[in-house]
Amino acid sequence: MRIFRQIATLLLPLFFLLPLMASAVPTVDEIVQRSNMTTYYQGQDGRVQVEMMITDSQGRERQRRLTILRIDEAKSDVVEGQAYQGGQKFYVYFHRPADVSKMAFLVWKHLEQDDDRWLYLPALDLVKRIAATDKRTSFVGSDFFYEDVSGRRLDEDNHELVETTNSYYVIKNTPKDLAGVEFSYYTMFIHKQSYIPVQVEYYDKAGVKYRVAKALGVKTIQGYPTVTKASIDNLKIGSKTVMEYTDVEYDIGLDDALFTERYLRKAPRQQLR
Amino acid sequence: MNKHRSNPLVLYSVDHPGIVAWVMGLSTLLLILLALLPSLWPATFNTLNPLRVDTDPENMLSADESVRVFHNENKQIFTLRDMVVVGVVNPSHPEGVFNPASLKHIHELTEFAKTLTWADPKNPEKQVGVVEVDILAPSVVDNIEQGGMGVVNFSWLMPKPPTTQEEALAVRKKAQRIPLLNGTVVSEDGLAIALYLPLTDKHLSYQVREALLEKIAEWEGSGDEFHITGLPVAEDTFGVEMFYQMAISAPLAMLVIFLLLWWFFKKLSLIVAPMILAMVCSLATMGLLIISGNTIHIMSSMIPIFIMPIAVLDAIHILSDFFDEYQKRKDRRETILYVMQHLYTPMLFTTLTTIAGFASLLMTPIPPVQVFGLFIAIGVFLAWFWTITFIPAFIMFIPEEKLANFGHQTGDAQDSGLMSRLLSATGQVIYRNARLVLVGTGVAMVVGMYGISQININDNPIKWFDTDHPIRIADKVLNEHFGGTYLAYLQLAPGDSTETVAEYAQGMQQRLKIQGSVLAKEGVSNSNGIFGQLSNQVGQAVSAVKNKDALLRVLNDYINEQLNNVSDETFVVWDEAQLFVDSERQRDEIFKQPEVLRYISDLQLYLVSLDVVGKSSSVADVVKTVYRELLMGKDEAFRIPDSANAVAQSLITYQNSHRPHDLWHFITPDYRKGTVLVQLTSGDNQDMAAVEQRVKQYFQDHPAPFALTHRWFGLTYINVIWQEEMVAGMAVALAGSFVVVLVMMTVLFRSFLWGFLAMIPLAVTVWIIYGVIGLIGKDYDMPVAVLSALSLGLSVDYAIHFLSRSRQLLEQYGNWRDTVAHVFAEPARAITRNAIVVGVGFLPLLAAPLVPYQTVGIFIAAILILAGITSLLILPALITLLEPYLFRKKVGG
Repeated sequence: MRIFRQIATLLLPLFFLLPLMASAVPTVDEIVQRSNMTTYYQGQDGRVQVEMMITDSQGRERQRRLTILRIDEAKSDVVEGQAYQGGQKFYVYFHRPADVSKMAFLVWKHLEQDDDRWLYLPALDLVKRIAATDKRTSFVGSDFFYEDVSGRRLDEDNHELVETTNSYYVIKNTPKDLAGVEFSYYTMFIHKQSYIPVQVEYYDKAGVKYRVAKALGVKTIQGYPTVTKASIDNLKIGSKTVMEYTDVEYDIGLDDALFTERYLRKAPRQQLR
Repeated sequence: MNKHRSNPLVLYSVDHPGIVAWVMGLSTLLLILLALLPSLWPATFNTLNPLRVDTDPENMLSADESVRVFHNENKQIFTLRDMVVVGVVNPSHPEGVFNPASLKHIHELTEFAKTLTWADPKNPEKQVGVVEVDILAPSVVDNIEQGGMGVVNFSWLMPKPPTTQEEALAVRKKAQRIPLLNGTVVSEDGLAIALYLPLTDKHLSYQVREALLEKIAEWEGSGDEFHITGLPVAEDTFGVEMFYQMAISAPLAMLVIFLLLWWFFKKLSLIVAPMILAMVCSLATMGLLIISGNTIHIMSSMIPIFIMPIAVLDAIHILSDFFDEYQKRKDRRETILYVMQHLYTPMLFTTLTTIAGFASLLMTPIPPVQVFGLFIAIGVFLAWFWTITFIPAFIMFIPEEKLANFGHQTGDAQDSGLMSRLLSATGQVIYRNARLVLVGTGVAMVVGMYGISQININDNPIKWFDTDHPIRIADKVLNEHFGGTYLAYLQLAPGDSTETVAEYAQGMQQRLKIQGSVLAKEGVSNSNGIFGQLSNQVGQAVSAVKNKDALLRVLNDYINEQLNNVSDETFVVWDEAQLFVDSERQRDEIFKQPEVLRYISDLQLYLVSLDVVGKSSSVADVVKTVYRELLMGKDEAFRIPDSANAVAQSLITYQNSHRPHDLWHFITPDYRKGTVLVQLTSGDNQDMAAVEQRVKQYFQDHPAPFALTHRWFGLTYINVIWQEEMVAGMAVALAGSFVVVLVMMTVLFRSFLWGFLAMIPLAVTVWIIYGVIGLIGKDYDMPVAVLSALSLGLSVDYAIHFLSRSRQLLEQYGNWRDTVAHVFAEPARAITRNAIVVGVGFLPLLAAPLVPYQTVGIFIAAILILAGITSLLILPALITLLEPYLFRKKVGG
């Protein structure tokens, strides 16, 4: 009995300390690394079906359906020491509308150099390499940029924790080189528990907010907090794109060979369904 | 006639001059206050209408005019905005602006233009000003080119200003390979660049222009020349110049009228009266215009200068008569009552005819012209009212002794002045050579007829500015270098389909069969069976559905049902089936169909073959450009690919750019409507009208796929429409005012013959003036058109005075031969004075900075002076010859 009490007395402060330790503010670097991992690197590979709805300022809608496959070079999800980071490959395959079905993109994302990008146009029976020096161009006519799909390199921005609210870390990201981008900075509202950037706001060079990305739905899939619905509003044009992610799967053991030019013409149907 | 029966209004005014003066003063003051207070303190007097300026040429058509509704609808669906255009040239550099220094300025100016946004005063959340995302400038447009080794490169055309001459030339070379940029952003001669700055609201163009001018001033002396133009700029400038016109020409007209009156009557205390009258009438009318919520527009801004000379006309008659009569009676009350009595009827009728002339403008379908006509009619009525009340009242204010040496001392109408001698000689000459005068008139009419046959109906709002105006210069420079700054849009849409659901279903069954076997050949198992199953479904559903969309829905629902519970094997086929239905739906997306794009492409080739068309752009240009670059940039690949899917895939590739939304200026996102942007090097309505005609013919000669319909919009086209409506409307107004005035004359003279006689001089005048317009090659434009109808009512005044006085005098003298001399005394002098006052009174419009004002000034002066001359020549000649018919009754009675 005595001994229990002694142990209890010893442990009791720990119970109070535990939550405190958990909520201890991580460093800015930790936050952005975790967030980056959560957004783009969960699992070693993944597949998602995307329903894309583009709505213009007049409410006119365009729909696209596509599948995105992803494979990571780094076979780790460990944030410490940035073990998770590395090159990635994306395979984007179009299902709808009918006239662009079977169209495919292949993106090899590199950390140290410009990405490689290929495009397959079935109606022209053509595989084309696309120069991808600029990743802030529209992703297939939507309000998403290529960079929103494949991620922006963390070392391109200076990160600053400007506020910690009950639920969010608010990070202000300022680009090191203003020349290549259309924003002057962007603010991320990163959810404290899941590290999902729930809202990202972009400010133009006059300091006006012109672009807002939102996570509209989050689910935990295979233990990974996953955005299941995301939107980007272009406030300057007045258009909006919503992407709904269904059938999300991680660690399905995709073959690295699928992510080659050869498979653009001959789509891996099994993997895309 | 009873000498003592004066009009009660006149009598009251003569007896209560103070009251009349007070009423006039106070009522005018009230109108001015009601207009002024809400203009100066809009917040305090928010229930009243403030002064509003309208410089929008679209408003020449009423807001619900179908052309205008269509124009605005299409501006919205294709997100087309009003733009400020900055043309940059550098005549001192052999490569024009394609040198590092100039391109640096252009880059900087573009960056600067992006910042020209302000918080919307009405909604601080919203930014208004330059629409950054739609700016066209080298640094913000996309380039598509070969990146070496079969790589296609999408990038900004000029992400940063080049540092070397080679780089500068490379920018030009790239831009000139892109049809959408060549001739629009970069000039075809490779020397100039144009920046297009779209605005959220065209009324911000003044602000934008001022800011740009300030920025541009930094580079003075660099050799770069910046020309700022674009419709919104022209409009704003127009607004300013309108006030110049009112501020310069109107007071100048006052001065001119004052000097003329001084010359006629040499009595300051007397001529103050008509001056007050002119002032009161124009102020009160403008006050009413503002109070009633109407706008100051190019037309309504001319109201004061029209009212002033017209307002003093009757007063001149009164003073003229008073001048001649006073010394006979030496009693101001008796004299003015006498004068008013025998002038009352002609004054009433001249006023009514003038009102009729201006009111006839209400028959035109052009709202600003209607407002102009209506308010001048109101002003003329006011002028008449105050003339018969205030002028007699005013005379009663002048002490008798001050009038002691006023007027003709002898009391005899004969006078030794130059005008009098000339007029009396004229009378005699005409009496003796009546036939000759009429022959001369006939010859003038024949020449006039030839002139009228030569009339060229045309207008161009840019030419409303003087040739040395910065806007005209900018217009000239830009049209020399670029494909044309006058924009017209041709909207294309599919015509009504005659295909029934049953016919469509039959076609689809055919396609299902083909697709089934195609898939079978590709190795998809069971495709023939499942596609046959679908064909059966179509056959069953077709009778139950209303249209094609419903049929596709039924089919799609069926497929989705199957997809939910099929085996992995058949999934592929059902997926293909769903794809098939989607492709059936896309058959309506006609702007992806190669035959449509080829048709547009050919149409564009035809368009640029026309003289005034410098360039045209459409979605076909986008498709061809992308297709070429996808196929290694080979020139022979600059064509429309062969399938709708290839077009769709080229377009989606294009949309992987910085500006995917650019596509929606050419087509709607449902690919059902498209536009062809046509750039004309001339804004002349006749040129636009010719293009319209040729295109119409083209569509007739070349049947379009999907029965494509075409319809024009854009301001250049709207101008043509309002001109057409104006010309047609003016013909109606002219005929209408002729009939109304003729009826009035017949009533006035209680004789159709006399009424008809009164119409002759003005008909001859209008005929000859329009003949002259044809002969000298002056375009029949907006101001010229407006003048025809209103001048009838104004120029008949002389005939009224001449004929009514002739009749009165003939009664006195018995025969025409003895009467002529008397008619050519005081009545002829009053007419001459009138002709000079109104004629010269309009001339200050020549000092106005805008061409239409000058045109109005010179033509109305010409009409009124010529009408005076023809009245004094033709009427006596006709009376001489027609005496027996005209005076038959009198002789008999």
